[in-house]
Amino acid sequence: MKGEIIDIAEKTARRAEDLGADQVEVYMASSRSFSIDVENNAIKGASDKRDAGCGIRSVIGKSTGFAYVTTVLEADLIEAAEKSVKLAKASIEDPDFVSLPSSQSSYPKVEGLVDPAIQKLGSEDAADLIVRGVDAAQAALENHESAVEAKFSASTGLTVIVNSLGISSSAESTSTWMYVSPTIKDDEDQTSSYEFQLSRALKEIDPEWIGRSSAENALSNLGAKTVESGDMPLVLTPLAASAIIGGGFAGAINAEEVQYGRSYISDAFGEEIASEELYIVDDALLPGGVGSRPFDAEGVRAQKTEVLENGVLKSLLHNSYTANKDGVENTGNASRPSYSGVPSISASNFVVAPGKGSLEDVLSEVGKGVLCRFTGDRPNMATGDLSAMIMEGSYFENGEIQHSVKNTLVGINMRDLLRRVEMVGGDTRVALAIISPSIVISSAKITSG
Amino acid sequence: MLMEDLAQAAIEAALDGGATFADVRIENTVTTIIEMSDGVTKRSLASRLRGAGIRAFVDGAWAFGQTTDLTLKGMRDTGASLGRLAVATKSKVMERFDVDGPTFKDRVEYKVKTPFEDVSFEDKMAFTKMLDEQAKAFDSRIVNTRTIYGDLWTEMYVANSLGTSVWSETSLPRIISVSFAKDGTSRQRAFKSHGSRGGYEEMEKERPQKIGTESAEMAVNLLSSIAAKGGTYDVVMDPVLNGVMVHEAFGHACEADNWPAHTTVLEDKVGKSVGPEHLNLSDDPTMPGERGSFEYDAEGTRTRKRHLVKDGLLTDLLHTLETSVRLDMEPNGSARVQSFMYPPLARMSNTLMEPGDWDVDELIADTKDGILLCSFNYGYTDPSKGQFQFQASHGYLIEKGEIGQMVRDVSLAGQILEVLAKIDAIGKDFEMDAGTCGKGGQSVPDMSGGPHARIRSVPVGGM
Repeated sequence: MKGEIIDIAEKTARRAEDLGADQVEVYMASSRSFSIDVENNAIKGASDKRDAGCGIRSVIGKSTGFAYVTTVLEADLIEAAEKSVKLAKASIEDPDFVSLPSSQSSYPKVEGLVDPAIQKLGSEDAADLIVRGVDAAQAALENHESAVEAKFSASTGLTVIVNSLGISSSAESTSTWMYVSPTIKDDEDQTSSYEFQLSRALKEIDPEWIGRSSAENALSNLGAKTVESGDMPLVLTPLAASAIIGGGFAGAINAEEVQYGRSYISDAFGEEIASEELYIVDDALLPGGVGSRPFDAEGVRAQKTEVLENGVLKSLLHNSYTANKDGVENTGNASRPSYSGVPSISASNFVVAPGKGSLEDVLSEVGKGVLCRFTGDRPNMATGDLSAMIMEGSYFENGEIQHSVKNTLVGINMRDLLRRVEMVGGDTRVALAIISPSIVISSAKITSG
Repeated sequence: MLMEDLAQAAIEAALDGGATFADVRIENTVTTIIEMSDGVTKRSLASRLRGAGIRAFVDGAWAFGQTTDLTLKGMRDTGASLGRLAVATKSKVMERFDVDGPTFKDRVEYKVKTPFEDVSFEDKMAFTKMLDEQAKAFDSRIVNTRTIYGDLWTEMYVANSLGTSVWSETSLPRIISVSFAKDGTSRQRAFKSHGSRGGYEEMEKERPQKIGTESAEMAVNLLSSIAAKGGTYDVVMDPVLNGVMVHEAFGHACEADNWPAHTTVLEDKVGKSVGPEHLNLSDDPTMPGERGSFEYDAEGTRTRKRHLVKDGLLTDLLHTLETSVRLDMEPNGSARVQSFMYPPLARMSNTLMEPGDWDVDELIADTKDGILLCSFNYGYTDPSKGQFQFQASHGYLIEKGEIGQMVRDVSLAGQILEVLAKIDAIGKDFEMDAGTCGKGGQSVPDMSGGPHARIRSVPVGGM
């Protein structure tokens, strides 16, 4: 299968060259994913999806065109190659474009990217796993009217990148996740919560923990109240840090956004922009990491990059275009949504170094403030202004949680937020966009009403 | 091979495998995206999506899969394997029900003046460049411009085992302009977009031709804005933000798949009062020329206007075939998919607040101290908690009934069951804006809008 796909990719690249492309890159991906859905405490459906497609980037001079198709059939690939060349001819050249990446001496060996247990997983085994998660949630909610939604998914994939400058790379990977979300109703009150785990290895998924934790989170959301508005300490759990720091800071150090002057961090490179408590690396080589890989989405070798050390911004995240434009080392952060897009830039595993203590320890150290467990917001990337609703969170006093909050918003500029990090917990976990412990911000504007 | 024959092969194989209902969507989509920044092409992308999404169903159990192998064998194999998967899943479901509904046979061609394929990449590139340069030329404080042109043509054939067989097509152009302005240490961003349903001729209309200036002017104006002070305000929403409010604070909670799942705070409210008597909220996929319009949904059901809230009462929901059976309500064509790679979900189309009787100037003059919130950055909601949030891109303080200082990035949070009751004045103006809505990992084009309207006493976040 792998050899066959590399052959097709190389043949397609030659076809685009014949049509007039100076440089060509062919990105092919195939995947199979199996998932099961639970609605109102019981399995409702399953899906078995196989996807294979191809994206072709053609360069003529300093102009680029891109086309993709959702098949790997020869006729479709030829049509895509023709379109990508046509688009390159029609494009307005980019004076800052230098070249596609050239051949790499070697790729690092990254452990734990493929789990044979996921490749072999049957639908019955998958159903057993999700039922265990749902049962655990229901057991923890036995005195409440509840409806549990859940999803389990397991995927295997193959990525092949070939370019006319000698890059020829292929990698297999697996991933799996489980999500459990109970809605509970009491007499006058209705609320919900969720919990999930995301991993490259099946054995890392703990259905009982996911189910039980989702139920505990939902119970703690009952009885939500508003709080008195004002400036107070803010504790971000890893899930909240994922949106605010994983989305709002990792996005700000995207070299393309900085080069265009679109980021609030644009004027701050090399400066002390954050508290010394915050140490962040982007680590694509982390064994078994959900963002780990031997090469990025352009076939450039992946690496570990120091982002923030002693409060100083050490490096931006680059792909080949931005690194060539700035004349700096490529950090291997090219990313793309499978075969269906051109490379942009994103973090691999954005890792916040842990400090000490559980969340309880952190709250008792801080004393009084607002705990944000989850928000869907992210800052305005140009100004850094963050105005975020606390989707799930609590007010705490004397280190003890008093009640959950509703209609409550946090306002703070990201530059202030980064400087006001006064403590980092030891409760590290994998969230969607970050691997982080809880983070304490000394003061933020809380509005509630 | 005819789409009808391919679909029939999959349906028959699924039924032979033990399914009692099966449906097929065969899609062929062609898109172009051109993105320019500072006058240079950053992305020129062409794509073709071609494949089939297939579902098999028995006794309350669904199986979904997809194939890009559009041969009789490919369709038969996928249909048969999904039939078996549905049967295997059947033993684990708790609620048994059937899928039923009206059947339709139709072919709906969507005529446009200038099909996208008749316009060269060069012409689309030149149009995008014109707007990018238009934004840049607006003011010396514009430091970066970004312009994105997108067109999408889709043909979709839907067939099911009940006898539905519907072919339809659509054509959606969109233009986006994002301008960044800088003055000293102040850096601001403005986003403007225009989307509709039609051919390339839609891009030749007045607003899309000037959208570069529109976004640049907003970015420059934002340079003199201040961050809003957080607090509880009387809020006047402009038509665009009002549309987002209706979409986030109410529309999602009306998606009928929330009822069997018990995940909406509106569960016990059907037929009951959810807001003041002067309040009417609708979702209408039949509006001509709008980006969220379609004649048939992703299950091949003919669409009609949904009066979600009529005179303050919750009267209709957004239904798929499954939810209309399970809730014993009329199907109304609300099943949508991002592409053949996804199963249909109950979704909104063009969502709006119907106009009222207030003159907009009078509405603002009547608001002694408050805030006028305009346009939007984004919004989201959790119907199971009954909570929503959305963010205006900018606004103006209202002082003694007059519009004053410009403010930016203002978030508004609230409760689905509380917010509608607080709407006490609805304008007689009306405007819609283009958007994209996300649910269950699927994005679909939509529109939302309404008149200006006032909400009393809601928390607004500030810096």
